[in-house]
Amino acid sequence: MLYENRKQLIALLLPAIVVLGLLTVYPIVSVVYNAFGEVDHASKNYTFVGLSNFKVLFEDFFFISAIKNTVLFTLVASFSQVLLGLWLALLFNRQFSGRRFALPMIIYPMMISTLVCSAIWKSWYHYDSGLLNTVLVAVGLPAQEWLFNPDLALYSIVLVDTWQWTPMAFLIILAGLQSIPKDIVEAAMVDGAKGWNSFLHITLPLIQKQVMLAFLLRSIDTFKLFDKVYVMTGGGPGNSTETLSMFVYKYGFRFFDLGMASASALVMLVISLLMTLLYAHKTMKGDK
Amino acid sequence: MKARIHSLCVWLVVTLFMLPIIWMFGTAFKSPGEILNSGANLIPKHISFSSFEALWQGNLTTLVGNTLFISISSTAVSVAVAFCAAYALVRYDFPAKLDNVFLLAVLIIKMMPPIVIAIPLYSLMNQVGLLNTKLGLVLAYQVYTLPFCIWMLLGFVRDVPLEIEEASAMDGAHLSKRLFYIVLPLCAPGLVATSIFAMILGWNEFLFSLLFIHTPNNFTLPLLIANFMTEDGTAWGELMAVGIISSLPMLVLAGYMQRYLLRGFSMGLK
Repeated sequence: MLYENRKQLIALLLPAIVVLGLLTVYPIVSVVYNAFGEVDHASKNYTFVGLSNFKVLFEDFFFISAIKNTVLFTLVASFSQVLLGLWLALLFNRQFSGRRFALPMIIYPMMISTLVCSAIWKSWYHYDSGLLNTVLVAVGLPAQEWLFNPDLALYSIVLVDTWQWTPMAFLIILAGLQSIPKDIVEAAMVDGAKGWNSFLHITLPLIQKQVMLAFLLRSIDTFKLFDKVYVMTGGGPGNSTETLSMFVYKYGFRFFDLGMASASALVMLVISLLMTLLYAHKTMKGDK
Repeated sequence: MKARIHSLCVWLVVTLFMLPIIWMFGTAFKSPGEILNSGANLIPKHISFSSFEALWQGNLTTLVGNTLFISISSTAVSVAVAFCAAYALVRYDFPAKLDNVFLLAVLIIKMMPPIVIAIPLYSLMNQVGLLNTKLGLVLAYQVYTLPFCIWMLLGFVRDVPLEIEEASAMDGAHLSKRLFYIVLPLCAPGLVATSIFAMILGWNEFLFSLLFIHTPNNFTLPLLIANFMTEDGTAWGELMAVGIISSLPMLVLAGYMQRYLLRGFSMGLK
């Protein structure tokens, strides 16, 4: 049975609508408005300029490279996290001594703040005294400029993100594995399915949904990348780690170019909206 | 034998995963000289508290206070507002599936990159004089915490059996009474878990505090960490000491939060 008292309904929902309306809907509307206009700095006059901000944007070398960096980061990071998470989940799906203690430990990286993660790894990436180069040199390999080599810097940040967020992919996929009925796996074993074969043809199809959702959720999240870049490379060297979030930040808060910042923010919003709708379509179906 | 190899393998992986955190603890307790000479060592040769002492000289306690105040206040606001909203969404009849529309909008806001609305939010805070204030940050954090709390509490309110509520409605209990004395206590574990998650969100948040806070005395802990990292000649020992202080609440809570994590980090996924 559902209650039908409309007055009560509105009273209960109103606070949430007011807070979200003021702090998110109004800013979104304002971003859309500014993306199609130009605001004069001195007079604060707004003139509608149609698509011209977007035209400039999509001809801008730095914007295109920010899109490329963001897409590359999103795909490589999400893919590595899901793959590693899947492997970890398979390891944890069996009983082993101390599993009870190992589980909280494996999720520590995603509990501590992104800033702390970045701080630890920035020190590990240090050329002279960092742990990674110390290990490399000790085994006779050349030391790397982890954060200052334009070809490597983005992947160094991928590694940090993968360390931090693989636990999340792991948790989602582990939940999927644990929901597989035992008799299915046993029946397959009786039929002679073993090892890799049994994984590929029995386990993987059964957790396909969780694997895909983990990938989507990680993509939505990695797409936002800002904090790690801001404190570890500042977008450099050159613009090799500049992401869309950094691009919006620079145009909005350093160059004070409201039109360009809003237009690029709107591009981000649309991409994130599409991913969210896909996610909602896959999860909310048949809900309630 | 096979089981023993398996558990050895898993523990090797877990240790590898924990290495950065182990290193953080080791480095925070090294003396500045030892960090300079053998920064890559996991375990300090001599335990030294000099990094913590150096922090203590600064305004660390103020910043911990700020971060606590902001994360607790924004959580209190979000949980109260979200609890009412979640109850309405579960129990009431919405015309034209408006409840699903509302939930989708909330999900979209939760998934949106926060930088998208940072500029208008900055102007808004500026206009109402809340820029560079803790209260302003409490409000700004609603962008993260409120959508999160609505989705999270939805599941917990759904688990409250309708029959108990109906029985008390028969006895003449009003909405506010039912909410306070029946739904609220039955949702208590869910409310606690949701509050802890929302507090962690606020405690760890960086972008809005970077953009909206300028005075060092109003800084949050993530801002202090960022400051340490971007200055020349980073004091790694002190940085790792701040890292420990700002990670401690989460490291302590991880065991408890474990069973709620899936619900918390994957909106709508059960």
